[in-house]
Amino acid sequence: MKLRKAYLVVALLLAASPLFLVLSDMVGYHEPLDLAAELLGLKDASEEVNWTPFFDYTVPGLPPALGYVVAGAVGTALVVILSKVLQRMVK
Amino acid sequence: MHIPDGFLDPVTAGVTYLVSIAYAVYAFRRLRAEKGRVELVTPLAAGIFAAQMLNWPLPGGTSLHFVGGALSGILLGPWLGFLPMFLVLLVQCLLFHDGGITALGANLLNMAIIDVLIGYAVYKLAPQRYKVFGAFLGGWLGITLAGLACGVEIGVSSQLPYGLAVTVPVMAGWHAALGVVEGAITSAVVSYISRRAPHLVEGGGREAA
Repeated sequence: MKLRKAYLVVALLLAASPLFLVLSDMVGYHEPLDLAAELLGLKDASEEVNWTPFFDYTVPGLPPALGYVVAGAVGTALVVILSKVLQRMVK
Repeated sequence: MHIPDGFLDPVTAGVTYLVSIAYAVYAFRRLRAEKGRVELVTPLAAGIFAAQMLNWPLPGGTSLHFVGGALSGILLGPWLGFLPMFLVLLVQCLLFHDGGITALGANLLNMAIIDVLIGYAVYKLAPQRYKVFGAFLGGWLGITLAGLACGVEIGVSSQLPYGLAVTVPVMAGWHAALGVVEGAITSAVVSYISRRAPHLVEGGGREAA
């Protein structure tokens, strides 16, 4: 199996991701962890202490769907770069 | 399942960090021994990152996304399988604040260690003719136990009484239900790769180096 094919699948997943963003927003996205936190009254401190450049997969100045794809592409690129650096360290 | 900042007390955060760092140190040391398979880490990490961006809407107002820890364990084994999840969780935390920096140890423990180990072990133990079902079971059980561990971490760190009585049933129950999808995707991917490139499946019978 060619690894190139795997990267093509990654690109397709990223391209499709905004559709899933819209669909999950329609049902009100929340995970089981949100339910447990709500029952216990736990407060997510992420927004108050955020230091990340693309908070919650958004890109400042871009509409949410486009920002989601761009954030995904940036994240994937960083994952690939870090992995390659790691492999070089092993060699 | 990504625990954000503010959910864990310092003791729970510290203990989970220590466990994850110890596992990471050993996994990185094993890298040289598993050199031939290291090149698979990059496409798998990229694939899991992209797959986690697809939030599947479910009736009743819940959504889920594929986690991928069991898949990583089945394809790369218990040590090398840690690395794609480590890279994904690190980037999600530092770039998107998806998972808190104080909870990174716990998130690694749940998704990069427990999910990976369970997925690998269940698949490895499955008889050869039931490997596809083994992948399904590994994916399902991996995510269910990772969810349970997440419930325990939040439950014990909460200042509220009876935290565990709330968090464990909610987290384990929901993830046991949602884990069916995780198991199905894990099984489908492993089945495809097993047919096209069986040598890429670590849990298929070959021992880790």
